[in-house]
Amino acid sequence: MKTRIVLAVAGVGVGLWGLWLLLGALELPALIRLPIWLGGAVVADDFILVPLTVGVGWLVTRWSAGPDRHRTVGAVRTTLLYVGITSLIAVPLLLRQGKGVNPTVLPRDYLRDWLLLEAMIILGGAAGYFFTLRRSRASSGDIGGR
Amino acid sequence: MKLPAPPTEKSFPSPLHHPRVATVIGRWLAVAVTICFLTGLYSHFTQDTPSWLPIPSRPASLYRVTQGLHVLSGTVAVPLLLAKLWTVYPKLFAKPPWPPSRQALATMLERASILVLVSAMALELLIGFLNTLQWYPWPFPFRQTHYALAWIIVGALLVHLAVKLPLIRANWRRTDEKVPDSLPPAITGLTRRGLFRTVAGAATLVGITSVGQSAPAFGPVAVLAPRKPNIGPQGLPVNRTAEAAGVTGIDENWRFMIMGPQQLFYTLDELRALPQSRSELPIACVEGWSQGARWEGIRIRDLLELSGAPVHSRVRVVSMEKGGFYATSELPPDFAADPLTLLALRLNGGELALDHGFPARIIAPNRPGVLQTKWVHRLEVIA
Repeated sequence: MKTRIVLAVAGVGVGLWGLWLLLGALELPALIRLPIWLGGAVVADDFILVPLTVGVGWLVTRWSAGPDRHRTVGAVRTTLLYVGITSLIAVPLLLRQGKGVNPTVLPRDYLRDWLLLEAMIILGGAAGYFFTLRRSRASSGDIGGR
Repeated sequence: MKLPAPPTEKSFPSPLHHPRVATVIGRWLAVAVTICFLTGLYSHFTQDTPSWLPIPSRPASLYRVTQGLHVLSGTVAVPLLLAKLWTVYPKLFAKPPWPPSRQALATMLERASILVLVSAMALELLIGFLNTLQWYPWPFPFRQTHYALAWIIVGALLVHLAVKLPLIRANWRRTDEKVPDSLPPAITGLTRRGLFRTVAGAATLVGITSVGQSAPAFGPVAVLAPRKPNIGPQGLPVNRTAEAAGVTGIDENWRFMIMGPQQLFYTLDELRALPQSRSELPIACVEGWSQGARWEGIRIRDLLELSGAPVHSRVRVVSMEKGGFYATSELPPDFAADPLTLLALRLNGGELALDHGFPARIIAPNRPGVLQTKWVHRLEVIA
């Protein structure tokens, strides 16, 4: 209990210090708009990104109930997840492509590189898919193939 | 028509919404946040050094490493944070406590602390990443907000740990994994270990495709990084161009000036005639990118001696840059005296490009790029 109290008191102190810094550094209009951005960040995470993941996960799980699919669902799920996370990080790069403040900022062809990256991930996923399919079929007279 | 009922905590059947999973991913996220916070503090203090804190000039590549780690750990924290939020997502739909009681109040406070933690961390990662693109679409100053939010995050995180400590302790080591009755694991597929591998894989993938902006060996695959370390004039990226700084070059009346015990004036040719030294030093920017380079020029300590000042002097560096935060910088005594610190005239075998600070710039070890002042025309010995 003592550890918890120390942690909580330290946490409140450190957090208030951050708030104090914020109040000292930001002008009133910025202080008013900051909570809107903070709220937007929560909405983006808790009401868009995570529900999207939950939803896709639900679809994949449903799909995996089909015959033989339990063998390959891992490859499908991992591929989708990797495509999703790399695409999420690529969004700002794609939006700002060609709009860097000078030519050394964002110097790549991000559209091409993003498509290449996703193609590699999907190829890797497909390789995993066929590999697990073959291996589990070869090794299984059993039903579950686990 | 009847609307479907809103989800409740029980609407999420996956056994991976479990405190053990939250504990493991939370640990990983805590490592990333700790690295990010400490390297961020270090970066803040190198730019805004309090008098009680001596920052050493060696190791020369320290800032390159810490700032590369700062941006890397922040980027890798994106998949980790999303995984953590996914794991605890059902909690979002837990019934608000009712009727009011002490317990209900505690629950509300805990939820408020989590709201602070999640919102601050999500926004911090977003603005941090967009800053590496030098994109600032928000209506508040980046640096101050990023710094203050970091303290708020650490505070909220400590409170979160205090609240969850018994749960974390109970799940610190592997716990029994319950297999749900309805769907065997061969069909739902994902075990805890499988999830951990997948999340670790996602974080690794994001890391490998972005670390190349600070580690040039990974440059070719840094497809998710806003910089490529070898792109730019003379093989070096630029943050602030001469045009953006309002600098057009020099005419024949240009003189470099040292204001010490003696005031000295040099033309560019006279500077070139002084004893030249070489330094292999990186430019390491606060945005996380860095690149090593070969510099040639006059040691600052030599210039100080010429003007009759002790080599351990505090030196103000004044640029021809018009306005801006970084038109002047200060070299603390240790940096001025370091033999690697140069008034550089040449870069990678050629005369400095205008965008790299022609005719003369500062290059010092273990310094953020913003303090490597370009287009220097005056040094003032201040102590």
